[in-house]
Amino acid sequence: MNKASAALLFLFLGLWLGTGCRHEAQEPVDPCASGTTPLQLDLPAYAPPPVIPADNPLTVEGVALGRRLYYDTLLSLNGPYQGFACASCHHQDKAFTVPTAGTNVLSHANLGWSTHFLWNGGVEGTLEDVMRFEVEEFFQVDIQALRARPEYPALFRQAFGTCSITAREVAMALAQWMRRITSFNSRFDQYLRYEGTLSPQELSGMNLFLTEAGDCFHCHSLPLMTDNAFHNIGLDSIFSGTGVGRYAVTGNPFDLGAFKTPTLRNIAQTAPYMHDGRFQTLEEVLAFYSGGVHHSPSLDPIMTKPGTGLTLGLTPQQKADLVAFLHTLTDEDFLTDPALGSPF
Amino acid sequence: MSRFRLLLLLVLALAACKKDGPAPPQPQPASTASTLLLEHEVDAMGLAFDSILYVNAAGHAYGVTRLEYYLSGLTLLGSPGTPDLEIPGPWYVNAEGQTAFKLGTLPGGTYSGVAVQLGLPPGLNQTGALPATLENLNMAWPDPMGGGYHFMKFEGHFIHNGTAAGFAMHLGRNEQLVHCSMPATFTLDGTADTLALRFNLNEVFRNPHTYDLATGNQSMGSMVLMGLLRDNCADAFTFEHRP
Repeated sequence: MNKASAALLFLFLGLWLGTGCRHEAQEPVDPCASGTTPLQLDLPAYAPPPVIPADNPLTVEGVALGRRLYYDTLLSLNGPYQGFACASCHHQDKAFTVPTAGTNVLSHANLGWSTHFLWNGGVEGTLEDVMRFEVEEFFQVDIQALRARPEYPALFRQAFGTCSITAREVAMALAQWMRRITSFNSRFDQYLRYEGTLSPQELSGMNLFLTEAGDCFHCHSLPLMTDNAFHNIGLDSIFSGTGVGRYAVTGNPFDLGAFKTPTLRNIAQTAPYMHDGRFQTLEEVLAFYSGGVHHSPSLDPIMTKPGTGLTLGLTPQQKADLVAFLHTLTDEDFLTDPALGSPF
Repeated sequence: MSRFRLLLLLVLALAACKKDGPAPPQPQPASTASTLLLEHEVDAMGLAFDSILYVNAAGHAYGVTRLEYYLSGLTLLGSPGTPDLEIPGPWYVNAEGQTAFKLGTLPGGTYSGVAVQLGLPPGLNQTGALPATLENLNMAWPDPMGGGYHFMKFEGHFIHNGTAAGFAMHLGRNEQLVHCSMPATFTLDGTADTLALRFNLNEVFRNPHTYDLATGNQSMGSMVLMGLLRDNCADAFTFEHRP
């Protein structure tokens, strides 16, 4: 081989090494690709870290889409609740509940930290799981109706980079929105952050709440004001129908009459109270805790007070102080923030 | 340039483009991570929740609905030639949840026993000292009662005057930190071991004090009752080394 042929061979090898190893063809531009913007929740330092699945991170586009779906009655088209949207039973000015007769409506505030949903925990898992239940079983969303609306395909494409809308993406968008519904700016929060003060009566109520005199804190633990667990608090001594509570899910006799602890955030806005809405006012609730607890074998141990009694024996002043404290859990920003309201 | 060198270059160039095939299996080093394992029992019976199966020293039949606690300050007590080894923790234990914890690789040696604390040391027993996980938040001991965390929540039902009543053995406050020491000679050789601690719940109710649930079914508000629990819990754990 002469020098010229050797040089040609080197040139060939060089070109081959430089380009010949690339097997992949040029990627075509995906018309369905998204360009999402990450969204960070604005949470105080004392809030637990939010639980966000790796395959459904919060994005500006996803939350915006979820918000729209939450307020859109299209979700119920051709389903058993025609004319309803999520927001029909979850009003922002009522902390995302609504006054009802019968089964009470749980607040959607800070639901991103729950792993069991509904009063009896009938749906378990992530927000994506419970939203999938809402989409497929509760509302029975007509996905074709979403696809047919001019705006939704583009919004799903922006949020999830997909041209095909399925129940999965609808549930994911709603789950993102639900994580955005956070309430951490009540007067009590401002007190915790040294940004505000409470009155002597409110402080007295706080001390009752956070000691065994009132013994609220064991179930309504700070800062979510719920332990996200299930308790039979002694509303009844005989259980039937939906009153069996968690027992309907677990079949465990110790779960008879046990219901999920609701958050007390914005509690002054969420009357009536208890799973069946039996109490109309906070005063009635405190009268129950003070002297109306019923015994049953499944009564939560924490409800049996020292000496095996069932009464807290709160004085009228103590009850008034507790009510005053409960009002400090109202988050006016949360109730009125336009960013949490309807986009329509 | 020789034809041989050109041929070698060509072979190398072809080899450079060869797609990566599956790597040949490599021998994996044996895991040396040891485990702290918590087991729960009532005397010789394994713990079963939500059934009134047990009888305590005061004669009360009882069942368990909740058992959560912190352990901290795990110390492998040394012997001549082997220094003490402290593994500070803490570990949050839910008897219905996580009960096994990786300890990493422990240095070999012959040890003479194990010590551990039921609860948190004063430096951690302060409001906000632990990460704001849901578990830690639900174990919080409110500031108006001294702040920090519950060391233990042990709850259930017991039979009193023929009917089921509740009990809540809650333990907290620095004065009530429980120090447990368990003599046992064992040798670690640097391979994976299990250090098993077995918590006998009946010990909470006996020795040195016979705890009467009928007069003390809730402990949290009483330093006296919590003191009884602290004393009784000192020998509530037994240790077993499982190579």
